[in-house]
Amino acid sequence: MIVAGKRSTKLAFLANSAIALQYIIIALLILLPVVWMVTSSFKPSAEVTRYPPALFFEPIFDNYVRLFDTLPYALYTMNSVIVAGGSTVFGLLLAVPAAFAVSWYKSNWPASVSLIARMAPGGLYLLPWYIIFNGMGLQGSYIALILTHTVITMPITLWIMSSFFDGIPRDVLECGLVDGMNLMGVIRRIAIPLAAPGMVVSVILTFILSWNYFLFALVLSDIGTTPLTVAAFRFVGEGVTDWGMLMAAATVLALPPLVLAFLVQRWLVHGLTFGAVKG
Amino acid sequence: MSAPTNIAGRSRNPFVRFFTSPFVWLVAPAATFLVLMIAFPLGYVLFMSTQDYLIGLQGRPVGLQNYVDMLQDRVFWIGLRVTFSLYFMSLIAQLLIGLWVAMMLNRAFVGARGLRTILLSPLAMPPVAVGMMWLILLDPAFGPVEYLLEVLGLPEMLFLASPSQVVPTLAAIDTWQYTPLIVIILLGGLQSLPEDPYQAAIIDGATAVQRFFRITLPLLRPAIVTAAVLRSIDLLRFFDTIYITTQGGPGSASTTLNIYAYKSGFVFFHMGYASALMIALFLIVLVIVLLLSRLRRMGQ
Repeated sequence: MIVAGKRSTKLAFLANSAIALQYIIIALLILLPVVWMVTSSFKPSAEVTRYPPALFFEPIFDNYVRLFDTLPYALYTMNSVIVAGGSTVFGLLLAVPAAFAVSWYKSNWPASVSLIARMAPGGLYLLPWYIIFNGMGLQGSYIALILTHTVITMPITLWIMSSFFDGIPRDVLECGLVDGMNLMGVIRRIAIPLAAPGMVVSVILTFILSWNYFLFALVLSDIGTTPLTVAAFRFVGEGVTDWGMLMAAATVLALPPLVLAFLVQRWLVHGLTFGAVKG
Repeated sequence: MSAPTNIAGRSRNPFVRFFTSPFVWLVAPAATFLVLMIAFPLGYVLFMSTQDYLIGLQGRPVGLQNYVDMLQDRVFWIGLRVTFSLYFMSLIAQLLIGLWVAMMLNRAFVGARGLRTILLSPLAMPPVAVGMMWLILLDPAFGPVEYLLEVLGLPEMLFLASPSQVVPTLAAIDTWQYTPLIVIILLGGLQSLPEDPYQAAIIDGATAVQRFFRITLPLLRPAIVTAAVLRSIDLLRFFDTIYITTQGGPGSASTTLNIYAYKSGFVFFHMGYASALMIALFLIVLVIVLLLSRLRRMGQ
């Protein structure tokens, strides 16, 4: 019996080690590439292209200094903030009342509309938009970028906010009606305050997705309104040899969404799966 | 809208009823936006696809000529092949790895929460940054992955620079970024599985392998299909990472349908032809999603 007991603890130990080992491998597979990108941004270019690669090096900030000094990266960053921020706010303004209506009247159409909007390749909208915005003289303007990015932010906000409104007990809202408030009053004084956490989640999530979105700005931005995604693409396209600076550009682009995603962990997946999972 | 509206005064006139309904007022801004930004452009792109439309020139109606040209266009068929090989490679890899990781995370174990957090980070990264990151990781001259291959005694690879390796490489990059999404969806599915069938199976003496194939997999099917639908939508329209790393090259080895349509429209400015290509791609996504949705309902 004692022998058997010993063997089983040994087996359990082996099994646990196997799981732990798999955990470590997966964590490393995900983290190491990102770590490599970030550390490369602190290396002189000669160090980045050194073969075999060295693990230890003296970190420098030169890449970031040059990125913001020799290239208009301050402008690009500001453009990204304007477009992502603008489309987030505009999407919120459009989606909150609609989300309340959808939740209150138990309507189903946003799920269907969102799913169809989601299935179409971005280019399908981009072709007519390009012609329309050109015709209106809006090509390259913040307005065009914010409007097009709102196509991404609005359905997701609608999706998230309606599930937050669904979470408010109907009695609470009907109480307001009985007390003589009209529907607008109920929305303003009861529903919106109660669903405020949902608005925070929506804002953070849609800001991330709008910040990350590449295709629309690739066509619709000009020199003055180029966001970070498109700037990074041009940087690669010029056939760079300045790899350290390129990785600094990638880090500047990737860091804000990574930090924000940390704040909305669970909801990140909810936002990314919208349209496909009901409820 | 059939829900009781004790708020709006009831009127017999359907127009008055429509315009005094709070539902209509609340939904109007969002609906107007969707009509202007999605419905109208969709109609317009259908019209464009029947035009010989070079930017700067007035369009000329050509009927279905763009679609006929498309079927005779060699690059269209290459694009179709590239799109589907990228799709199948990525989807299969992601479902298998995703299932494995989800099963592992489903067991209570120290660090499972931490690993979940780590898993979310690729999902939040801009595909543009992910493409740039892999560009240096996979560089044939100095990339650390190349060094790893050398240390392990494996043959050198060209990755994104090789016409035969570029599609599997892009599939691997996408797998790195989006498998976590599948893991999280499947984990949700696993955690809502009922206990009873498992207890019955253990009493009947079923092995772990039998339990996995006879119970877990069938019960998990809705979650698997959901994950597959989501990934299919994005994979069939694969664009960002390719456009950053190879722009469809070398040659046309990684020119997916989406890349080809984009280039036709915004590099060569054949807007009419590009519209036809985009519509074809949209229809392909639609058909695949419908087929997968049938799979979910099958046998239930």
